[in-house]
Amino acid sequence: MTVTSLNPKSPVRVRIRVNRLVLYTVLVAVTGLFVGPFGWLILAGLKTPSELAAAPVHWLPADFQWHNFTDAYKLIDFLGYARNSLIIALIYATLVTLSSAWVGFGFARLSAPGKKTLFGVLIGSMMLPQMITLLPTYLIFAKVGMVDTYWPWVLWGLSSAPYLVFLFRQFFAGLPRELEEAAIVDGCGYGRIFWRIFLPQSWPVLSASFVIAFTWTWGDYIAPQLLLSTDKSTLAVAVMTTYVSSAGTPVTNLQAAASVMYVVPILLIFLIAQRGFVAGMSTSGLK
Amino acid sequence: MTVDQVSSVADRPRSTANARPARSDTRTGPSMTTRRHRAFYMFTSPWIIGFALLTIAPMAYALWLSFTTYDGISPNWHYVGLGNYRELLHDAQTWDSLGRAGLFAVISVPLSIIAGLALAVLINRPIKARGLFRTLLYLPAVVPPVGAGIAFKILFDQNTGAANGVLTFFGFDAIGWLADPYARYVLIMTVLWSAGNIMIISLAGLQDVPRELHEAARIDGASAWRTFRSITVPLLSPVLLFQTVTGVIASVQTIMPMLLAANPTTGGLTTIPQSNYTYMIHVFSEYFALGRYGYASALLWVLFVLILVATGLIFKFTSGVVFYNVDPEAKK
Repeated sequence: MTVTSLNPKSPVRVRIRVNRLVLYTVLVAVTGLFVGPFGWLILAGLKTPSELAAAPVHWLPADFQWHNFTDAYKLIDFLGYARNSLIIALIYATLVTLSSAWVGFGFARLSAPGKKTLFGVLIGSMMLPQMITLLPTYLIFAKVGMVDTYWPWVLWGLSSAPYLVFLFRQFFAGLPRELEEAAIVDGCGYGRIFWRIFLPQSWPVLSASFVIAFTWTWGDYIAPQLLLSTDKSTLAVAVMTTYVSSAGTPVTNLQAAASVMYVVPILLIFLIAQRGFVAGMSTSGLK
Repeated sequence: MTVDQVSSVADRPRSTANARPARSDTRTGPSMTTRRHRAFYMFTSPWIIGFALLTIAPMAYALWLSFTTYDGISPNWHYVGLGNYRELLHDAQTWDSLGRAGLFAVISVPLSIIAGLALAVLINRPIKARGLFRTLLYLPAVVPPVGAGIAFKILFDQNTGAANGVLTFFGFDAIGWLADPYARYVLIMTVLWSAGNIMIISLAGLQDVPRELHEAARIDGASAWRTFRSITVPLLSPVLLFQTVTGVIASVQTIMPMLLAANPTTGGLTTIPQSNYTYMIHVFSEYFALGRYGYASALLWVLFVLILVATGLIFKFTSGVVFYNVDPEAKK
């Protein structure tokens, strides 16, 4: 740095300051655009129906209608739907995390003829459009009587998810070989090696996988909409379809309030688990 | 990283195992190698069985249905050979909806990658409260599709939405955002809203770019743009390729924003504005609004093959451009 730049009025200093100002202005404006839609949703949840129906726009509610949140909760069986969502998400997240760890261990620490091909298929299947397989899967589930039960999520959970298998495989492949060698010499089976030695080491990946799988299921709309009848369905389906007045018109302010209550748990989980979440995301993107 | 470059601990030569060859021979029962092979299949079987039952079987079932007139109700459905495929070739909806889906992918994927990359570069500058900005920019990507859809529907409401509120405040006319032809722009904005995903992944890539490269470029007098174009982008290219492929596949499957912008309470397929009637929506209509499982399965299989071809083409055309700097094996 040259001596002149130490002078607060020097052109270099001024330019740096202007640059900073522009940088922060852009940053705040862009962040505002990203936060805006959710902020508007919260505001909509705090307005009266007439404020939400009237043109021109009411930017702020005259009085914050906090009771909208309790009304939204009473209008439909909100807790019941939330419980269904929770059950499905817990079933799937628990099973898929364990099964993906199990499969990931196989790909990371063991080998057999055909492994390379299988791994190629695994990676390729990450790119399979799930919407395409979901529709015929739905027809099959309907045929075998699994529609309107939670069995599909059990089966999906047991069969592991390629993306999570890959996360676990990356993690297990990085652990030192000595970890299982002594156990093998002692005649310990691979099942026990996995359960006793590897699984306890993998808390960061286990929790990241659980959070990812939980948010997938909580956020999924199409599968529960196809597979479950209304009373067994999830909060996602209920929030989208059940906020209608007896006259058949949508109750937008209550729907907005309900959406906020539906989304906030996921945002909280994300904020708490942020580090693992982000780590898992960037690993999957780079490797 | 390609599949060939991926290897694991198990594939590497087992120097220690060779040091103890007698061990497995003295055992009764199967040898060490056989045990390892069996164990491999024991561990990978949940995925193998699941993949066969929940992916291969439904796809095969759909393939079979695509040769029939099956509709789930009528008992006298029958085999029609390639009839469904011939019909879809002559169905104007197929081509129109395919064109819209293609246009949507071609516009939304590059835009969201550019937006994500720009956000990553912005947030990678030395700024105060970087963590806060990063979290706020990323949060929309975590919002479930139903929440995002409802938020955008309220935001772009013709009479009471904030978007038109801003327009009319500055003296412009209000726009019917959720109807033709503007619905497609709202659709693209919902995709851009979750650009935080790409930002996080690019950010990790940016922070892996060696400092020396930037310093060397600065000493050579390279402009910021030149540095970005010649150093940052090539080093990030594997990440960008991955984002392009997954982005295209995701955009083809997009269905929630269209459903929500259409009609919040019924989620009606029939009320979707024409400009948002993409191929996947067409498949859904044939499946559920019309119950034509055979015909819709043919549409699905065509889409499946098209996605395979598109993915293959993306890899082929980028193979010379994408730059793999580090040999993944050398790191270990």
